Amino acid sequence: MSGVDDGLLLRYSTEGDGLAEAEAWVLRLGRRDDNDVCLRHDTYSSRYHARLHWKDARWWLEDCDSKNGTFVEGDEDDSRVGGTIPIETGQLFRVGRTWLRIQQAE
Amino acid sequence: MPEIALKDILINARQESFRMQHYYLGVEHLFIGLLQINGGLTNSLIEDSGLTTDYVTDAIRRQMGKGTRQRLWAGLPNSPRADVVLSIANDLALEEGRQEISERDLLLAIFEENDSIPVRVLRKLGLNPASLASTTREHVTPFDSRQPYITVEFSESFEPTDSLNEQHLFILRRMFYGYSRVRVERQLTGGYTPAMILVVTPIQGDNVEDAAVVVKIDRSDTILDEAQRYETHIKSSLPPLTARLEDKPTAAETSDVAGLKYTFVAGDNNNARDLRVVAQEIGAGGLGTWLSQELYPAFGKTWWMQRRPYRFQVWAEYDWLLPPLLTLEYVPSDDQPQVKVTIKEAARRKKLEHLEYGDLVAVENYTIQRVYRDKNSIQLAVGKGSEAARRAYKVEVQNLNMTSDAYFRGEVVERLVGRVWKTRAEILFLAAHALEPDFDARAEMIPGFNKGEKLLNPLIAYEDLMDRYVNGSLSKIHGDLHLGNILVGPNQTPFLIDFAQTRNGHTLFDWACLEISLLNDVVLPVLGEDWESARQVMRVVAALPEYHLPPDTHVMLAEAVRPLLSVREIVRECLATSENWSEYYIALALSALRAVTWETMSIGGRRLMFLLSAYAISQLRSRLRQAGSLDTLSNDETDVTDF
Repeated sequence: MSGVDDGLLLRYSTEGDGLAEAEAWVLRLGRRDDNDVCLRHDTYSSRYHARLHWKDARWWLEDCDSKNGTFVEGDEDDSRVGGTIPIETGQLFRVGRTWLRIQQAE
Repeated sequence: MPEIALKDILINARQESFRMQHYYLGVEHLFIGLLQINGGLTNSLIEDSGLTTDYVTDAIRRQMGKGTRQRLWAGLPNSPRADVVLSIANDLALEEGRQEISERDLLLAIFEENDSIPVRVLRKLGLNPASLASTTREHVTPFDSRQPYITVEFSESFEPTDSLNEQHLFILRRMFYGYSRVRVERQLTGGYTPAMILVVTPIQGDNVEDAAVVVKIDRSDTILDEAQRYETHIKSSLPPLTARLEDKPTAAETSDVAGLKYTFVAGDNNNARDLRVVAQEIGAGGLGTWLSQELYPAFGKTWWMQRRPYRFQVWAEYDWLLPPLLTLEYVPSDDQPQVKVTIKEAARRKKLEHLEYGDLVAVENYTIQRVYRDKNSIQLAVGKGSEAARRAYKVEVQNLNMTSDAYFRGEVVERLVGRVWKTRAEILFLAAHALEPDFDARAEMIPGFNKGEKLLNPLIAYEDLMDRYVNGSLSKIHGDLHLGNILVGPNQTPFLIDFAQTRNGHTLFDWACLEISLLNDVVLPVLGEDWESARQVMRVVAALPEYHLPPDTHVMLAEAVRPLLSVREIVRECLATSENWSEYYIALALSALRAVTWETMSIGGRRLMFLLSAYAISQLRSRLRQAGSLDTLSNDETDVTDF
């Protein structure tokens, strides 16, 4: 996580965290406190900005119509996420001004 | 060299954090703090890699983005990663029995942690953190100013149009470090870039001459961008035999210039000459044949022939050619003044028509394209869309305070207020006035080149074109194709140099640029610099693409326009819609209008460009009237196609 929380590692498990939906396990990202990943200090993130889905044995990133967008790091330019796209572990993505990535717990 | 203590680095780092309105201390601030130590280890590491500290600093700032003016917490906390890095640095110091963390410790710790924003940015810039770390460990700071003395000589044929200054010489000496002398053979000039382009022969200590190379010296961020661009875009699309970029760029600590070296991958290198010189030898006829049989096929395969349909609004590809839309004097945003116009992403230029000197204008969500640290000014532009569109609607802002606020290339400025200092219309009219027109340059119509004929005044009429749609094509283009950038090697092989503008863009733009260069360098010299000469040339240009010249055409003029026939043949092949020349007139009209503002072009050339632009726009207007919306140019806003 970049910014003032750069280097911070947040741990989530399917038991207790996020939303267990019928077909997927969902983590919510945004500025409001009731998100799983709360970006309190990022004024560029929306209150409910994006979601991560664990579905069909892989991760998916969804932008929830955020104002400033969700981006995936690219070689030259970062590409804006429209709708839901697959995302790899370790791939950097940006919510508002904050860079994040998914890491497998050891 | 005295060791720099951590507390001094922290002062730099905190200042950077405040300038960026971040209000925390992260690894990015620590790294920028390291970069700011003049003559320090980090500094020389970056410069040995062919980059400059400013360039790297801006790349990191771009990745971070600026914070908000509002502070969200008190104090200046360390980020968790900064704590990790500082504790690694502390361990490194303790291992060597030192109490205090040194510059080297901190730098090594950042490389060891290996996951921070600055390390990612360095990797993106093509550097390898692991090898940087090993260099850091072994590095003995030389702390001489590394000014190897190399004699710079000039060949007899060297006629500098701008004499080389100390900065240029410094770059040359550093670039050819290890040689005993260099000889500057020729200067290649012309075109859009203010760069200095030279042909240089390096000579070894035993008087053995190595192959001549082309050296380009320009503003350091332009040069470093070109080097990056070459790696990602250009290298893979060049024909097998051509000029290639070798070595990393050479920069200077003491000034804002840097240099690049292009070498030729071919046999006898000293034969490579620019097309301007060659043109005089092979004559206009030979030049035309060479363009269509050598240049177009050699680069066309990966460039112009790879075109695909592209529908765009004229401004998106061509606005960036024109002078800044506005030049503003910065007004600090604390005094909330009466803003007359707010310019957002896609500016409605209509609103700007009635702006006057001193009016307040707000600019929102524009992107910084250039920072002129020496002049306390910045250049903003739209910043979105195709490569050319990003640079559209330039706005210059002067009188900024660069010590308290950080401005960096790529920064999106949320809002900035300034007073109007100059407008685009003014700059264009001044440029036209400098041509000493024998007609009223502010009138809507100007005299044409045939008796009794009237043409639209391009200074006024161009505006109507900017929002129209063009059904054209897109391909890789050189972006600054003029005779000085085209070299001819052994066996007539074409070489292109100067890839600072190379991009995906409107295919016909390159050929419009080349036509302009041919008109100025090959056609016009046959006649004179006066308005009558310009009109005479235009009478012939109007007869293209066929070769039905007016009966009274001067023999030499008839010969000199031959290369234009080849250019028009190539254009004909590249037209998106067969025989629909409007697409080309767009490119010609705006490229010629840009050339009117070029101080480097002779007055005769600029007069010709003024008439060329007027002619192309008048042609477009009459075609529009005939064909309506079925034509290439359409005004139909409902039919916006995304590509």
